[in-house]
Amino acid sequence: MRVAIQSSPMTLDANTSSTPADYWDMVRLLSLVGDNLVGIDAEGRPQPALANAWQEDSTARHWQFTLRHGVNFHDGTPASASAIALILGPLHPDWNVRATSAAADSLTIDTEASAPTLLAELALPRNLILAHNAAGLPIGTSPFRIADYQPGKLLKLAAVEDSWSGRPFLDAIEIEFGKSLRDQAVALELGRADVIATAPRSANASPRMRTSSSMSLPVELMALVFAPNSKAQDVRLRQALALSIDRKPIQSVLLKGAAEPTASILPNWMTGYSAAFSAQANVQRAKALLADSRPPALTLSYDPRDPQAQLIAERIALNAREAGITVQVSLSGPDDIRLVRIPLPTPDPALALREAARQLSLSPPVLHGKSVEDLFQAEHGLLEDSSVIPLFHLPVASAASPRVHGWAPDRLGGWNLADVWLENSR
Amino acid sequence: MSFRQKLLLLFAITILLCVTVMSVSVYGTMRRSFEQANQDRANSVAAQFRSEFQRRGEDVARKVESIAASETVQRIALEINRGVSPASADASGYLGEARTLAAQQQLDFLELVDHQGNILSSAQWQAKFGYPEPAITPATGPADSRAFLKREELPNGPTLGLFAIRAASIGEQPLFVVGGERLDQGFLSTLDIPAGTRVLLYQNLDSNWNPQSLLDLNGAAAGADRIAPLIEKVRSTGQETQGVIHWTADSADAEVFHALPLTGPNEPLMGILLVGSSRRPLIELQRRIISAAMLVGGLGLLVAVLASLWFAARVTRPVVSLAEAARRVAAGDLSAKVDVESSDELGELAASFNRMTEDLLQQKDRAVQAERVAAWRELARRLAHELKNPLFPLQVTVENLMRAKEKSPELFEEVFHESTATLLAEINNLKTIVARFSEFSRMPQPRRRPTQVNEVLRSLLRVFHAQLQDKSGITVQTDLDAALPAIQADPDLLHRALSNLVLNAIDAMPQGGTLTLHTTALANGEVKDRVAISVSDTGAGLTPEECERLFTPYYTTKQHGTGLGLAIVQSVVSDHGGKISVESTKEKGTTFRIELPA
Repeated sequence: MRVAIQSSPMTLDANTSSTPADYWDMVRLLSLVGDNLVGIDAEGRPQPALANAWQEDSTARHWQFTLRHGVNFHDGTPASASAIALILGPLHPDWNVRATSAAADSLTIDTEASAPTLLAELALPRNLILAHNAAGLPIGTSPFRIADYQPGKLLKLAAVEDSWSGRPFLDAIEIEFGKSLRDQAVALELGRADVIATAPRSANASPRMRTSSSMSLPVELMALVFAPNSKAQDVRLRQALALSIDRKPIQSVLLKGAAEPTASILPNWMTGYSAAFSAQANVQRAKALLADSRPPALTLSYDPRDPQAQLIAERIALNAREAGITVQVSLSGPDDIRLVRIPLPTPDPALALREAARQLSLSPPVLHGKSVEDLFQAEHGLLEDSSVIPLFHLPVASAASPRVHGWAPDRLGGWNLADVWLENSR
Repeated sequence: MSFRQKLLLLFAITILLCVTVMSVSVYGTMRRSFEQANQDRANSVAAQFRSEFQRRGEDVARKVESIAASETVQRIALEINRGVSPASADASGYLGEARTLAAQQQLDFLELVDHQGNILSSAQWQAKFGYPEPAITPATGPADSRAFLKREELPNGPTLGLFAIRAASIGEQPLFVVGGERLDQGFLSTLDIPAGTRVLLYQNLDSNWNPQSLLDLNGAAAGADRIAPLIEKVRSTGQETQGVIHWTADSADAEVFHALPLTGPNEPLMGILLVGSSRRPLIELQRRIISAAMLVGGLGLLVAVLASLWFAARVTRPVVSLAEAARRVAAGDLSAKVDVESSDELGELAASFNRMTEDLLQQKDRAVQAERVAAWRELARRLAHELKNPLFPLQVTVENLMRAKEKSPELFEEVFHESTATLLAEINNLKTIVARFSEFSRMPQPRRRPTQVNEVLRSLLRVFHAQLQDKSGITVQTDLDAALPAIQADPDLLHRALSNLVLNAIDAMPQGGTLTLHTTALANGEVKDRVAISVSDTGAGLTPEECERLFTPYYTTKQHGTGLGLAIVQSVVSDHGGKISVESTKEKGTTFRIELPA
């Protein structure tokens, strides 16, 4: 199978991703090579992976995992509790990860504070159980192993015959790096690629060929983030800007209907209360907020690698002008506002909110309980000063050529290539 | 100032005036020519701009028409009319269409606008979809089918463009294509601009003056603020205007700008075309003219001076000769002649002058001879008169002697004694008369030495003391200046002169009166360099005619005077470098005043 991706990773490390596209590319690549200790489904329910059972104490500080039997790394070494502890431990210095002395298939994790979201955290891509060989390449336990890696250019994976989840249908996967979305689409069209990442578009958009397209749940947040030294120190100006943005045309035209306009950090599918944060534009109210002030001109920057970002930024500037706010879209000089897109790496809302706050440089959310109300209050607290203006929740999309069968990407954007096969393939 | 200098000055001023008038005239003509040339150039560039504007407008219109007829636009128009793409839902499908079409037709601006005037796709600002396009209103559609100027909003600010609108009408809902090109420095670079001329374009995009909107061939024009007043004038009046912009202190660096308003479809001022013509050629020519004028003026002046010197000399030489001769005549030289050979008025004047001097000379000779004769006659009359008086007693006495001898010899002895006494007395009288004449003829030269005038007067009064005592009724008053300086004078001659005056005064007051002697020092500035002596009487006084002839020798108002007394006084005063004058009022008296240098 030939896969084309947009990013050109020089190292295979989930923590080096700089953009959401890079993040998703890297997550998809590494997920082909490694497994998590615990998985999580779209509903946020933990799923067995390398651990097939687990137990927590009443304080959620002491966790004990029972590992699956007979799982080996690609180099043949067993994926024992001690081996997994050697991988997880350095990733979490504040955890005490160790093999349980009584049994070789038992792993214990102790945390200093209560960790009710530990399972969701273990399911994060950055917690994939990946050892590294002498060349520094990741060695995992999944059905594919790295056969060849040319940094920034190419990655070849080969099927693992004795994988614990069974041998994949595919013998090999060749992943070509650095293909733009357009090039990927062309490669898919011309049969030079079997699976690609695509720009999400609404279901109304008519595909030009019989490709299998899939779109995840909205797992990305697009938002405006005010810089700490922004000229928009007046909260009324930030609120006015938030009120001036008409998200609907951006969603329907620039994002081709694939995004969900939002004013919340977490998507509605994750919390159910997103509609409580109004995303309606109200230019009159925005003007009223600025009635007795002369707002300074603001500079809005965006990620130039994001093909949609410039147009969205310009549209926001247009909207802002309607409300009497001058926003200059620029990539040079210090910016007052950044248009950012961040991945929401987990369906667990509490963990997702914490991850989002970290990526948006916000203070960690204050959660007083596990209820939806607690979550709402925590998110409302993060957005209260309007230093972040959520705009859209976006899905990630993929497409497969007609000769790919069994193609069923999961709802969180991952690729399950272990279960697909190719027409005319051996 | 001499006549020659005046003549010279007149010539110089005349030439200077001529050169100045000629220079001003030439400069004025040249300036008008340049201004006309500048106007012609500005009109030419403006006409060229309009022609290029029209050509580019037609070009834009053609391109827009081509786009409107393109398959893409027709497809979109069809989709809109079929309702395939309701309003904003699937404008995403058209998002990049305008940019692609604009690139194909090399247009800077292109927008696809629906029948409601909302942008479906924008090449210049893709994010502007859904916003209304002001050039198209739902009620009227496009305002003008020709190309027109329009302000276009862009992400980095407004700009000015030359636009055309065409509609793709498929079904009831037309799809408008609004395309255009930038009207900026690129447009200016297509103009064929004459040498010495440059073209600027002001994009009137802001309510206030914006220097960044003034463009030349290289972008934002330098020194925009200096042109601001001209632009503001056009902005306020909307009329073509012109002005001179001085870039530096050197006036040659100035430019004449013609500012032409560029308006949009409904006459709003969209831009201003500024055609600038350098004033350097004009100023340099002006400087050359001024230099030439100064050179010509200077040379002319020099030539004028030389020519006028020659001419004035030629013209004024007879006048100068006349003036010189006149001065000689005035000085008493009646032999002065003017040597003029010309036959003009000056020659006639000179001849008349010569004749006049000859006549004067002859009259003078005649007058001298007459005066001499008169003097001799006066002298003879005086002599006869003076001699006649003693001669008659002599004759009578001698006749008495002779008669006594013949008729009364006994008395002869007695008569003889009496007669001889009488004869001797009369002979003495005759001798006295002769001595006076002799004395006048032998007036000695003064022997000067420091002399106190007051002392001379006091001495004089002592001499006359006895005589004044005898003449009762004459009172002597003296008013002598104690600070009178000593003068260089001959005291004897001075005594003699003053004696004559005192004698005359005494004679003038037979009935008594007051004789006043007065001296005072006269100063020239602070230095007392003269003395004044007055001798006054309160006698019968003199008539003006008498005063006038008083110092004439042998003239006297007395019954027995010789007329030599005052002549002697005047001679003495004159020999001392002084002067004498007389003031007299009839019946009140006479004052003689003498001034002598110290």
